Amino acid sequence: MKFLVTVGLALLLLTLESVLVQRAGLVLTRIDVTVVLLSFLALRASLLEGACSAFAVGYLLDLMSGQPTGLFTFLGVFIFLAGRLVYSLLDVRGTPAFVLFTMGADMAHGLLAAFFGWLTVKDGSATAVLPGLPLQVALTGAAALALYPLLRRIEARQERTQAGGLL
Amino acid sequence: MLSLFKRYRQLLIVSVLLLYPLVAFLVTGRRGREPNFLDRALIAMTSPLQSGLNWIIDGVVGTVNHYVDLRGVRLENDALRLENMQLRAAVQALGEARSENERLRQLLAYAEAAPGPEIPARVVGVNPVARLLSVRISSGEQQGVFQGMSVVTPDGIVGQVIRTTGGYADVALVTDPQSRVGVRVQRSRARGTAAGAGNGPLRLENMLRTEDVENGELIITSGTDGVYPPGLVVGRVANLAKKEHGMFQGADILPAVDTTKLEEVLVVGSPYRQAAPVVEGTR
Repeated sequence: MKFLVTVGLALLLLTLESVLVQRAGLVLTRIDVTVVLLSFLALRASLLEGACSAFAVGYLLDLMSGQPTGLFTFLGVFIFLAGRLVYSLLDVRGTPAFVLFTMGADMAHGLLAAFFGWLTVKDGSATAVLPGLPLQVALTGAAALALYPLLRRIEARQERTQAGGLL
Repeated sequence: MLSLFKRYRQLLIVSVLLLYPLVAFLVTGRRGREPNFLDRALIAMTSPLQSGLNWIIDGVVGTVNHYVDLRGVRLENDALRLENMQLRAAVQALGEARSENERLRQLLAYAEAAPGPEIPARVVGVNPVARLLSVRISSGEQQGVFQGMSVVTPDGIVGQVIRTTGGYADVALVTDPQSRVGVRVQRSRARGTAAGAGNGPLRLENMLRTEDVENGELIITSGTDGVYPPGLVVGRVANLAKKEHGMFQGADILPAVDTTKLEEVLVVGSPYRQAAPVVEGTR
């Protein structure tokens, strides 16, 4: 996926999530829509394009968090790189595999966020989100299931446009 | 040298993309940074979208609710009229008490803190990261909202403004694990701290074991934290644990405001803090 499309999609998904979560009243648990995008980038994008897109997606998540510290920008790039490494070892094809891959990435993302939060705060507040993590991972898996066909379609359209341009 | 750079160009760029935010995080830690031009532009772009989505959802929900509400509205009207009469009588009585209170304060030469501005705002979205429990509201610098101001509803306190941009502000909720509020028991005036626990009830901390507090009692802000004005409702005491040993007693505080269902809020300036310049017409 192209950089700008990824950024636009991340912005749209984060805005949607922000409003829908407020309406649903889920204060503690979130759906990590950005991790779905990062997982897709890890499977499909080239190293440079993917790293730049992951940086931008992480920055947007940082910005929307209300207290941008750079943590989620770092985690975005890190999860993308780790995802590429895992993809080189495992065969991730089809929707169920993508959902499981995304759930694993989200679990790592949540645990790392709690760990780095603990590093700076050193009290119980950073780890207070951990009990909600399994539900968050499950909801992110559901989001991956819903978004995978959309992401594939966007990617296919871009490939067709590129091929048309070359011809 | 140039050929070496060309050879490892990808690796270098990816390393910078990975390490730059990590170093920034380790340097700034939990404080975060002030919003820059790009941050402001992106917030200015997404916030109206959030407001628009809320408007659409409100429209749909409102239409359905109006239809449902039409049934039985007459009965509700009668009950509300009666309640209105009772409330007006109560307000009149409170007015008398207030003027008496003011007279007595003047007699005692009691220094009264001037109340700050009250700015209404609408909640347009929540922060999509579970690490910090915060919401975005539809009033910002343009309306006279600044970092550090407290956010309340008529039922009680909501949180504190942590970041403002043009017409929007982010508010850390009182339930956030990093939140600490100076409180006291309304009846006995015993002082303590209300700490956020991430979900549901707050924790009552730093309240001496000898202090007089019971389950169900009202907890209000003490004003000693320099953020919240004194006398605002925080919640009620529950699950009080009076230990035989140790300095402090522990309890939960059931928040008066359900932060999961916030819609409209008021932003108030701290009466003890020199407020940033207030835009005309916001009071």
